[in-house]
Amino acid sequence: MRSAASTSNRSSNAGIVGSGLGALLRAVDPFLLLPSLALLGMGILFVYSSGVDSAGISVSNEWIKQIVWASTGLVLMVVFAAINHQRFKTRTPYIFLAALALLVLTLMFGRQVNGARSWLGIGELGIQPSEFVKIATILFLAAYLSEIGNGITELPRFALGLLVVAAPVGLIVLQPDMGTALIYCPIFLTMALMAGARIRHLLFVTLLGLLTLVFAAIPAMQTLLATREPGIWRLVTDAGVARYTLAVLALVAALAALGRRRYRYGYFYWILFGSILLGLALAGGLAMSTVLKEYQIMRLVIFVNPWVDPRGAGWNIIQSVTAVGSGGLSGTGYLQGTQSHLRYLPQQSTDFIFSILAEESGFLGGALVLVLFAVILGRGLVIMYAARDSFATLVAAGVVAMILFHALVNIGMAMGVLPITGIPLMLVSYGGSSLWTAMVGIGLLMNVGIARVQGRSSPGWFQGRALRGAKRLTRRKA
Amino acid sequence: MSDIEHRTMLKRRAIGFAAGIGAALLVIGGYLFFLQVVRGVEFRTRASSVSRREIPIPAQRGKIFDRTYEHVLVTNRPAFSVDIVPGEVPAGELPDLLERLASHLGVEPPRLAERVPRHMRHLFRSIELKRNVEFATIAALAEQIDSFPGVAWRSEPARDYGAIGSLAHVTGYVGDVTREELQVLFNEGYTAGDVVGKSGVEKRYESVLRGRDGIGHRTVDVHERAVTDVWQTAVAPQPGSDIVLTIDTRLQRAVEVALGPRIGSAVVLRPATGEILAMVSYPWFDPQTFIGDGGPAAFSMAASDSSFPFVNRAIRAAYAPASVFKILMMTALLEERVYSPFRSVVCRGRFAYGDRIFRDWVKEGHGRIDMDDALAQSCDIYFYQAGLALGINNIAGYSVTFGLGAPTGVDLPGETAGSVPTPAWKLRERGTNWVGGDTVNLSIGQGYITVTPLQIANLIAMIVNDGDIFRPHVVKEIRDGTTGEILEKTEHELLHSSDIGDATFRAVREAMRLVITDGTAAPVITTDAVTVAGKTGTGEVGYDDRWHAWFAAYGPHDAADPADQIVVVTMVEAVNEWEWWAAKAANLIFHAAFSGQTVKEAVDYLKPWYGDAVFNPLRPEDEEDAEDEEDAESAGTEGGESE
Repeated sequence: MRSAASTSNRSSNAGIVGSGLGALLRAVDPFLLLPSLALLGMGILFVYSSGVDSAGISVSNEWIKQIVWASTGLVLMVVFAAINHQRFKTRTPYIFLAALALLVLTLMFGRQVNGARSWLGIGELGIQPSEFVKIATILFLAAYLSEIGNGITELPRFALGLLVVAAPVGLIVLQPDMGTALIYCPIFLTMALMAGARIRHLLFVTLLGLLTLVFAAIPAMQTLLATREPGIWRLVTDAGVARYTLAVLALVAALAALGRRRYRYGYFYWILFGSILLGLALAGGLAMSTVLKEYQIMRLVIFVNPWVDPRGAGWNIIQSVTAVGSGGLSGTGYLQGTQSHLRYLPQQSTDFIFSILAEESGFLGGALVLVLFAVILGRGLVIMYAARDSFATLVAAGVVAMILFHALVNIGMAMGVLPITGIPLMLVSYGGSSLWTAMVGIGLLMNVGIARVQGRSSPGWFQGRALRGAKRLTRRKA
Repeated sequence: MSDIEHRTMLKRRAIGFAAGIGAALLVIGGYLFFLQVVRGVEFRTRASSVSRREIPIPAQRGKIFDRTYEHVLVTNRPAFSVDIVPGEVPAGELPDLLERLASHLGVEPPRLAERVPRHMRHLFRSIELKRNVEFATIAALAEQIDSFPGVAWRSEPARDYGAIGSLAHVTGYVGDVTREELQVLFNEGYTAGDVVGKSGVEKRYESVLRGRDGIGHRTVDVHERAVTDVWQTAVAPQPGSDIVLTIDTRLQRAVEVALGPRIGSAVVLRPATGEILAMVSYPWFDPQTFIGDGGPAAFSMAASDSSFPFVNRAIRAAYAPASVFKILMMTALLEERVYSPFRSVVCRGRFAYGDRIFRDWVKEGHGRIDMDDALAQSCDIYFYQAGLALGINNIAGYSVTFGLGAPTGVDLPGETAGSVPTPAWKLRERGTNWVGGDTVNLSIGQGYITVTPLQIANLIAMIVNDGDIFRPHVVKEIRDGTTGEILEKTEHELLHSSDIGDATFRAVREAMRLVITDGTAAPVITTDAVTVAGKTGTGEVGYDDRWHAWFAAYGPHDAADPADQIVVVTMVEAVNEWEWWAAKAANLIFHAAFSGQTVKEAVDYLKPWYGDAVFNPLRPEDEEDAEDEEDAESAGTEGGESE
């Protein structure tokens, strides 16, 4: 086996490097594999727990399905770790287009689950294309950004990159699945950051996104929370008044642009920056508050105060925080959580898996999950930095961002510090599409990791260690 | 940007990004620690309170006994309420199940269906279908419980009054607390659906009888489905205390039989203590019929009865005392030395005062008559003159001394004070001045004065006790509901005390004895079991041929031990056919009380004197002695003679 593996080290352009177990072994990175396995194991445990009803009887076979997906996901991970990623690079446009086509198909023929047409499949079998499209988008963005190189610092090229992301985001918003769509934004921002984009551009996009959400939610929030803000708020909340605000902002922007041309003072740039940012955010927010469904606005409102509707929209957030909080230091014990088994907790196996985990295993379990994610992310960053070419770097950055923001948003939601978005906790939450996407992403990280040492001819971690050990042994004998 | 520059940029940004990730994870970890460890207790409480359901465990209401503490009058009967948990009924089977259940419970199917509205049909919440279901029904239901999924029952004890008869006025009855009562009682822990005493002892001793409900709890899931089947007891219910009445059931029964179906009332009082041994007001109501399905209908029927069965006439109705008042007049005359007992007056049957002629009840008059005979023959003319000699202020003053015009303080709700008229009272109430004619009228207990039968019993008690009246009461003691230990004994409380001389009372008592031996009551007080002394009264109320009939008496007249004496007051309203029944009823009461005979024997013994007069029907227990209860054998052989 080992000889077969070593012979395969020759070619750096081969498709799958070598063949057989050796190649697979070489591809596997234990710093990624072990925490992933641990998270998968915890996931399966608590998916099982979430399927146990109040009488202590397991009423769901989700955990069995999860085991199947985890095992097949492991195979996928190793396969994606072993494929030469350079082979993707030239094909990313096709992959990306195929992904977009899949999204269009989903919109046309998809099945509605929880109000979003996000499922594609026949009968019981089905996938959520929006999950896999994350990988395709990361690959295509990485290819585009590495192609343009320093060009990213120019606004048009940066904006074009934004447009690339806007395509899948738009299709997913139409489903409508706001949460999944929103997760693309930090992925893009992280990749652009690592590609060398200008900080001010990134800042603009980040602030624009956040401010738009705020402006969209403020009018509903004021009515629902019955808070009386000072009159100045009407400048941005009252659609009639906001028109004039927009006009003033446009005027300021025009003047600033003129001033910048004429005098080239730095502050004219920032005035321009600020006025355009505010103007776009205000326009976007007003547009959104009319386009967004009431329940989506409600999610933003109850995030501020879930008790405005404790048995309706606020229910999930209150029950989840109660479940997490009642876990204490060491938890209520496996299968002993009351909030979860008495079914007060909704979507236990998917969106709120962290709540049941935190209830039953307490702070120790919750902290362990955080540590495991930290190990994966840390290893991912090391791989990203050490990667030989910028495509590899950016793929790693994209995957790290994907895993990171899923974890942050999901756990933040379970603890009630972020709005409810319906984003799964990768590797832990029940669901094949999400699980496979995460495993493929980690496979890609491993892939980049192997390539970093000596192109495609580096031995894998295990093999390297074994070889070095063998060498040491032979030296000692000598 | 050169490659080196690019590497530097990447390094800087990667480190910055790594720091950002680290910070974010630390913040999340820190907040997790805050939520779970710092605020953990708060959330755990919230989590358990969300899933905890509590129900009250009803406390047993205290029982009510007669004075022997052997005969239970009011108790609790096991009754059940039938509930359904609609969520446990298989889909679509609910209408059929309700229909079958309705025939079991004996209700109209639509009435069950309306208790389970459509929007509640998927809930795992228990809904009460019917209350006061008998044990037999539950037993039948239990045999086929498999065909009634989701149906369950709860023990919910109901009040059992048995054959309470005339004692209903003393015990009272219970009912669901009304919205108005709840306004007042809410702070004492009552909630809608609770049972509360509505009259009599049930109302007056509500806090004693009620006990304290316990709390049971169990855990439910989000669909209100019970996780554990049994209700765990969090706080055990505290049963109410038992009440022992002063009522002697045998005597009560005798009074009931004696009064017969005549609207009126009778009181038997033990003057030495104030204990009420019997209290009957006819007609009475049957609280047992208020319980169960027909309850509301039975109640409204009783409430709209024109003979007012809810009124306890012994304490709630005030009448002119008529000639009974002459006892008080005689006491005043002697004590004030206005008339010598030997002074005699000539009675010609008429007495002119002012522009009015006052007549005697004997048309031709009594002739020359002294004080003793005036009371014995109830001579009106004598007392007209004596009253004028005494003056209104003296009469009113003595009335107050005897406790008239004021509540007796009996431990029953709804007592009325009656009224004692004075010139000031008349001016205030009627707007006219007191005239001598009013005094003349008052002298024979007519006019504006009104008294309750219980007040008259007190008046007699003062005569018997040489000036003392003990507060009349119906509750002898309060006992622990489970151990029977005496918790509280009713003290014999002095209500009124006068400084009238003992010689005066002795003279009045002799005169009252004369009423029985030679006076108006001589033909009807035929009992040889006891020496009775008393006074009749015949009140004018506007009919030509019918009068209010009073009889107020005590016996034995010559008792060695005052504790043996009883006071009997009977009052039969003028709406009844005129039979002069008050004294006749008292005759039977005295005989039953002192002869040692059973009620039936007493009736049979005195029967020759009554002719065809109607008593209340006898019951088997009327053939039993109070002291040694014989078996029902004799009841079977001699039953049927119940006239």
